[in-house]
Amino acid sequence: MHCVRQVTDNLWWVGANDHRTHLFENIHPIPKGVSYNAYLLKDRQNVLFDTVDWSACRQMLENIEYLLAGAKLDALVVNHLEPDHAASLQEVLLRYPECRIYCTEKGFMLMHQFGFQTEGHETIEVKEGDTACFGDHTVTFVQAQMVHWPEAMVTFDTTNGVLFSADAFGSFIALDGKLFNDEVNYDRDWIDESRRYLTNIVGKYGPHIQKLLKKAAPLLPQIKYICPLHGLVWRSNFDYLLDKYQHWSIYEPEEKAVMICYASMYGNTEAAAQALAAKLAELGVTNTVVYDVSNTHVSYLISETFRVSHIVLASVTYNLGIYPVMHNYLMDMKALNLQNRTFAIIENGSWACKSGDLMQDFLNNELKGMTVLNERLSLASSMKEEQANELTALAEAIKASLDES
Amino acid sequence: MNYATTQKQEELRAKVRAFAEAEIKPFSFEWDKGNVFPSEVVRKMADLGIMGLPYPKEYGGAGLDVTSYAIAVEELSRVDAGVGVILSAHTSLGTYPIAAYGTEEQKQKYLVPLAKGEKLGAFGLTEPNAGSDASGTETTAVLQDDCYLLNGEKIFITNGGEADIYVIFAVTTPGIGSRGISAFIIEKGMPGFEFGDHYDKLGIRSSATAQLLFNNVRVPKENLLGREGQGFKIAMNTLDGGRIGIAAQALGISQGAYESAVEYAKERVQFRKPIAFHQAISFKIADMATKIRASRMLVYSAAELKQNHEPYAMEAAMAKQYASDTAVEVSNEALQIYGGNGYLKGMDVERFYRDAKITTIYEGTNEIQRVVIAASILGKEPKDTSAPLFQQQPNVTGARKKKIIKEGTAAERVDELVKDLKKDGYDFTVGIPKDTPITQAERVVSAGKGIGPKENMKLIEDLAEAAGAAIGSSRPVAETLHYVPLNRYVGMSGQKFSGNLYIACGISGAVQHLKGIREASTIVAINKNPNAPIFKNCDYGIVGDVNEVLPLLTKALDTGKKKPAPPMKKIRRAQPKKMKPPYSLYVCDGCGYEYDAAIGDPAADIRPGTLFEKLPEDWVCPECAEPKANFTKVE
Repeated sequence: MHCVRQVTDNLWWVGANDHRTHLFENIHPIPKGVSYNAYLLKDRQNVLFDTVDWSACRQMLENIEYLLAGAKLDALVVNHLEPDHAASLQEVLLRYPECRIYCTEKGFMLMHQFGFQTEGHETIEVKEGDTACFGDHTVTFVQAQMVHWPEAMVTFDTTNGVLFSADAFGSFIALDGKLFNDEVNYDRDWIDESRRYLTNIVGKYGPHIQKLLKKAAPLLPQIKYICPLHGLVWRSNFDYLLDKYQHWSIYEPEEKAVMICYASMYGNTEAAAQALAAKLAELGVTNTVVYDVSNTHVSYLISETFRVSHIVLASVTYNLGIYPVMHNYLMDMKALNLQNRTFAIIENGSWACKSGDLMQDFLNNELKGMTVLNERLSLASSMKEEQANELTALAEAIKASLDES
Repeated sequence: MNYATTQKQEELRAKVRAFAEAEIKPFSFEWDKGNVFPSEVVRKMADLGIMGLPYPKEYGGAGLDVTSYAIAVEELSRVDAGVGVILSAHTSLGTYPIAAYGTEEQKQKYLVPLAKGEKLGAFGLTEPNAGSDASGTETTAVLQDDCYLLNGEKIFITNGGEADIYVIFAVTTPGIGSRGISAFIIEKGMPGFEFGDHYDKLGIRSSATAQLLFNNVRVPKENLLGREGQGFKIAMNTLDGGRIGIAAQALGISQGAYESAVEYAKERVQFRKPIAFHQAISFKIADMATKIRASRMLVYSAAELKQNHEPYAMEAAMAKQYASDTAVEVSNEALQIYGGNGYLKGMDVERFYRDAKITTIYEGTNEIQRVVIAASILGKEPKDTSAPLFQQQPNVTGARKKKIIKEGTAAERVDELVKDLKKDGYDFTVGIPKDTPITQAERVVSAGKGIGPKENMKLIEDLAEAAGAAIGSSRPVAETLHYVPLNRYVGMSGQKFSGNLYIACGISGAVQHLKGIREASTIVAINKNPNAPIFKNCDYGIVGDVNEVLPLLTKALDTGKKKPAPPMKKIRRAQPKKMKPPYSLYVCDGCGYEYDAAIGDPAADIRPGTLFEKLPEDWVCPECAEPKANFTKVE
């Protein structure tokens, strides 16, 4: 049975939803699922924009077959070769032998590396600014290197203002019937997963997002629809989305907020983290969140770190080092190029307390633009009543820093 | 090369030796003990005609050769190394740059009186952060209309305070390292040109060594020596020649110590014969004489090369290095020959022993001499194309607010300071006893030499009372002036302050002092010299006279009798600000690899410090071989 939705005249969403995969890219949990979006344009020629993950192949094929109703597929535009979109490419080619393929030079290279056979199909290598006409619709190809793969491009339909944006502007969460951003309560239900998708998948490539945003800026008045490869199609409120992308890609916090991340083995460090959260609230700082790094997947920690301005790292010393899960979080920050945040440190150790110095060194030397507050709370196994002053000093320092920022 | 000196040179030697024996020797012990600069002897040296030995007669000099000059320094140092260095610094350092690089007007105005000995010269290159590495020079000269405005300080300047004419090096183009340095002729008495500490040295105590302070000194444009940016070259060429002078000084010290030891060894009898004839001593004497002769050959041959305008930098460095190492060794052995007697004050070998050490340090440490020698042999290291790297210059005292309160009357500035302190959480209704040990004090009011006469300590006591603080001081205030007991001076070698508030009054901020207050939460500086290092290391500063500011501050903080202070709670310190590097990062379009100039690309022999723009055109991404053109600048 087909399951399609019309985007605009002559253009349909022919993708599929996935609630079975636990880990996106086999690393990031997706409890609310994900969609793989492909789009079919019916002009004098029929054109498919990207395909879907192998697991969604059958649904996409049924969707295409239904819409084509026996007509041939003339062209396939492959904006992005990552297998969650390109895995079904071969099946499309087998079924539609006259289908031409549009892709970048690096895209074709990856296509062959992944083992796809293109013999018998016309292949058209496109470069920045090349156009293709399919009847009424003419599209322009725009390179989007390293958003987040080197072969990536986006395709702009100059006839109806549709931007096929590849992984840019994508999100976790299965569509489950809805298609457009105005069909959901985005700020309530979607933004956190959208942020978690972008920051974890493309976070490292802020400068390249910036480059793409600059290239897209002159086109903006003509853009009517943004069709990403995951998540909702945007047809309104572009400013909201662009503002978020602006913050993420220049690594500036979205809001003044405090995130307390603790790594605690027996609850003593946790108790200090909670006491700090309470003290902050007493001081009027309530835009706070608290996470236990041991049972929060690092993709959530990263996403929240992109959102907030201030992070408190509270970690025990483990094997004379940083608690491994906390260390993993720090290394992920480095991998994703996180910058320009203010940190406070709570350290704990029962015989040789090392975690504070090590975390501070990591923040100072391995990351860019990170400020570490002078006030550090050091615990010997557990926090004592006599340390109430220090806790207050730490909370006050965080509040003062929030007020200054 | 001549292996012997000429008759004329030996006549000069005899003349200087006679002068030194008669006019210097009888007083050396006294000058050494009292740190006395022998102005009268300097005047007599002018009469003797030895203040401009290697300079042409038409410019007031003696028209003799460089070897004669070396002999004069040697002979003076044979008796008193402090007097030797007065002549050396005057002739090689103060006078030479003007003789070599001065315009005709500059030569008439400055070279003539210097060479005649009517004026004394000095040379100012060394700074707290620019010793062996002149590119760290921080003194600045900014051209304003027809004057250069000089600001900064020089340290360890021989003849400082006594000299009339100074050749000073300052940065005219910041940010380009040693190529931005220029040389200036400065006269004693120019407004804003002052002298700081007169150093209390281990040896050469009859020579004056001082700190020079420049506070908006207006130097006429025509006092620029050479061209702008030529300063580093002038300094290096001058030091090359200066090394012959220091080598001659070291040679003189060796000669003096040696002669004294030989004489003593021939007189001192043990085991029924003069100790000179014990093999242990005779071998020492043989070694000393050999090394002295080798030193002399090195010194004179370098002088001869210079005289003949042949390259001599390496030979001068060899002479300086060898002669000074020898001076330390020979004076040590000489003292050893004297035994216990040599260990007593008043014995010349005791003085030679202390005087010798400086010769391995100044005019380029002997380590730097080896750098010079090795570079002459091996050439320059493969060219470093790196740009000046971005470095956040750390303050000695760490991150500080550095709010210098300049606006308003003294009273208004004091009020603003008090307001800031209260905002930071200071409660002046409580206080600690004035005699609280520094290490346990929550607050300290500290006096530096800028406090002036001893009666001004009352200002400090009153302020400490009003601020609820203990009393501290800089090292000289306790050690030299004795205003407070030794256990109250704050610094690396004294007491360390780790409380909250440190109010530094008339303290300029020597590094060793600053290291003692690193842990202070808040540092307040009150000093009349706006260039004092303390201002770069403070949270709040008021530029002003302690006589005016301290009473006002005392009044503003006075709350009557202080309540006892509760247990100390650390006040929040200034937060270091992270600065972005001044250069851009570039990321690869093919893989996201980030090129950081601070790291370079070692695998492709790209040195750290190479800006992306300076990468060779055929350079490719080390990770994915994408060409240089396919990189995106990080905005």
